[in-house]
Amino acid sequence: MRLTAADRPGVAQPVPVRDVPPLPWPRLLLAALLLAVTLTAAWEACWRSQGAVPAFRDDAALWTLQRDRIDRGEGDATVLVGSSRSFFDVQLPVWERLGGRRPVQLSLVGTSPLFALEDLADDPEFRGALLVDVAPDLFFTGFENKSGFAEYRAKQSPSERVGKWLSMTFVEPYLAFYHEDYALFPVLRRQPWPQRPGVRGLTAVRRLEVIGRDRATHMWARVEDDPEYRELTRRIWTERFQGRPGGPDGATPGQVADRQVARAAAAVAKLRARGVHVLFVRHPTGGDYLAFERRAFPRTTTWDPLLARTGAPGIHFEDHPGLEAGLEFPEWSHMSRASAERYTERLYRLIEREHPRPDGRRW
Amino acid sequence: MVFNTLTFVAFFAIVLALHSLRLGWTTKKVNLLLASYVFYAAWNPPFILLLWISTVVDWYAAQGLVRAEGKAKRRAWMLVSVVANLGMLLYFKYGSFLLGNFTALLASFGVDYRPPAPDIVLPVGISFYTFATMSYTLDIYLRRAAPARSFLDYALFVTFFPHLVAGPIMRPTELVPQFEVPRRASAQQLAFGLGLMTLGLFNKVVLADTLLSGAAERVFDGGRAPGMLDAWIGTLAFSGQIFCDFAGYSTTAIGAALCLGFAMPDNFRFPYAAVGFSDFWRRWHITLSSWLRDYLYIPLGGNRHGPLRTAAALMGTMLLGGLWHGAAWTFVVWGGLHGTYLVVERGLRARFAAWQPGPVALFALGLLTYALVNLTWVFFRAKDFPTAWQVLRGMTGFNGDARPILATAFVAIVTAVVAGLLAAHWYMRERTLESVVARAPPTLVAVLWGVMAFAIVISQGTGNAFIYFQF
Repeated sequence: MRLTAADRPGVAQPVPVRDVPPLPWPRLLLAALLLAVTLTAAWEACWRSQGAVPAFRDDAALWTLQRDRIDRGEGDATVLVGSSRSFFDVQLPVWERLGGRRPVQLSLVGTSPLFALEDLADDPEFRGALLVDVAPDLFFTGFENKSGFAEYRAKQSPSERVGKWLSMTFVEPYLAFYHEDYALFPVLRRQPWPQRPGVRGLTAVRRLEVIGRDRATHMWARVEDDPEYRELTRRIWTERFQGRPGGPDGATPGQVADRQVARAAAAVAKLRARGVHVLFVRHPTGGDYLAFERRAFPRTTTWDPLLARTGAPGIHFEDHPGLEAGLEFPEWSHMSRASAERYTERLYRLIEREHPRPDGRRW
Repeated sequence: MVFNTLTFVAFFAIVLALHSLRLGWTTKKVNLLLASYVFYAAWNPPFILLLWISTVVDWYAAQGLVRAEGKAKRRAWMLVSVVANLGMLLYFKYGSFLLGNFTALLASFGVDYRPPAPDIVLPVGISFYTFATMSYTLDIYLRRAAPARSFLDYALFVTFFPHLVAGPIMRPTELVPQFEVPRRASAQQLAFGLGLMTLGLFNKVVLADTLLSGAAERVFDGGRAPGMLDAWIGTLAFSGQIFCDFAGYSTTAIGAALCLGFAMPDNFRFPYAAVGFSDFWRRWHITLSSWLRDYLYIPLGGNRHGPLRTAAALMGTMLLGGLWHGAAWTFVVWGGLHGTYLVVERGLRARFAAWQPGPVALFALGLLTYALVNLTWVFFRAKDFPTAWQVLRGMTGFNGDARPILATAFVAIVTAVVAGLLAAHWYMRERTLESVVARAPPTLVAVLWGVMAFAIVISQGTGNAFIYFQF
């Protein structure tokens, strides 16, 4: 046994000695490196064979890069906040072609966008226009699992900034397996383990998207082209069609929605006082997802009170039949890439026609 | 900067390249010092000032100690160091805690005192580098060591990036002499050092973050009362996570230093194979436990003044050791439990001094030690006492009607990893990593190394900070 400080009480500790086991370490290093590279290449090939493509990782650092644009000279920009619908359905290149400027994409997958709305409301640099996506099962339930992003941005360290730059330069554009759906634990977790009685396990949402450098996003081709995978994604949504949850403090679903609307109203009041033009949008959905939303979140108890209490205008797809005509929703919640492009053009033209920016700028 | 990030990979490659250039030794040391400041500033640049204050105060206090004539003057210089370092620690680490307790105390007397919430950010690693710099002054005060001959060597001892933020807590006598003569890693040291870094990162990224942390989070942070299986699996997961996280950091740090040609001491010696708590503390966070022993327990009287004083010194040391880990009463209870275990064990050893346990009894005592250590981890991990009691009730079967929390995948993975960890610790109980590796077939070593590196890559760690950074 090698002695340590534990064996030498009350004395000056000597210079430690670290022996190197007598093996050919440089050759072992080379062999280990070769093996690791080979295994990694095989792992990459495995995921690519299933249609995976390299994409940028949608983490707090990527969101921060876009959020920073507002404080770095783009305070008058059009900003998108919301959940995954405005992430998938609003195509930034189409918007840019029509409006001349690329919006700032701050929507986040699987979370209520209220924290982002409040974050912008508290930022005097932001004086532009805001398109707020309202996905009823997130917005009115207050399900927030990414509210830490705003705090992350406030405390982001130089090391984290450099790390994201390195990742976006050397890793994310090239490696298809670098996606949270293909990480070791999610892969282990979705193996056919026996079900433990009494554990309510929702299947984790699988990959649906391909994300660009500035968070411009479109549906992953496999969702559109692979019927089996598409069916899986629909099954995963179906597991979640369980009705409308109350609050952890015993609040009823109606009370929870009321709180969310109150938060939105407070944020919108701040924004409008600064001259920010706020527009709510309920993007179209399809299939069983739409049926669930109509059943659990009827617009009379959600969307209508939101517009009434905030005083902000809104576009609900049901009020504009031409908006959703002919669109495809492969997994019911989001549009196919081609549909999203068509939809973005229709939406942009509708917004410009019916809700032009008061400052005279284009959306 | 965190070891398990791309930023560190780039940083370390640059440091290695600079260190291998044909430059003078002083230039290389300046490079290492500047690199260490960059390493620290990568979190929060202004906190470098604290590092400098700690460095400069102890340098001058030590100079004063050397020049001082008479006991009182020497003690005064020693106190300058202790007050400055502990003062920083008190303000930054315990400021909010003390204020909160003071407010609660006043409230218990009916005084409604509501001070504004202090917005104090804890500088990363402050508990580690203040202890390192204090040991410099204290060793000189205790006449165990001579002061460093060069300020550069001393500043590098304080700041050397492998140990700066989470140990091993180095003593000046361990590191300063290494800076006095030119050092450069041989090809053997460099490659083996990279192997240690891979092992350390495997522990952190794959075992701690990927395979164990999820179960612990669900049980401790889920807000639901766990049943017996969930409570034990969550606690066992945390016992594995905290070891793999912290020992992983130490191993990575030791490997990084070795790549540069420097030796750092062991910080862990397979602690879950400990038989008894004095054995546990000779194996767990060795550099902290020996620091507390040398600079707190022994000055408090150690075992030189009878059983009662010994027990009081043990309890005092462990309570403060608990508080060192975090500004919360749960950590104090954690330390108190360990102190109690040590006192009881001391009594039992005196009572049964003649008994020599056989292999089965030894193994049973090892398991008992591990089980009791797990009870303490509940207080260490729980964010408050209600959570701790809830988990303890679950572990003792008092949450009979609790709904299951963990899916089969978590239960199976945690059981497999923790069983593997315990088996490895037991096998390694009287061995060192180096001695086992030396006897292993080289092909097996290369395959394990490659597989560990691959597992790190596919785990896709998100650069989670090491748990001990918050201390």
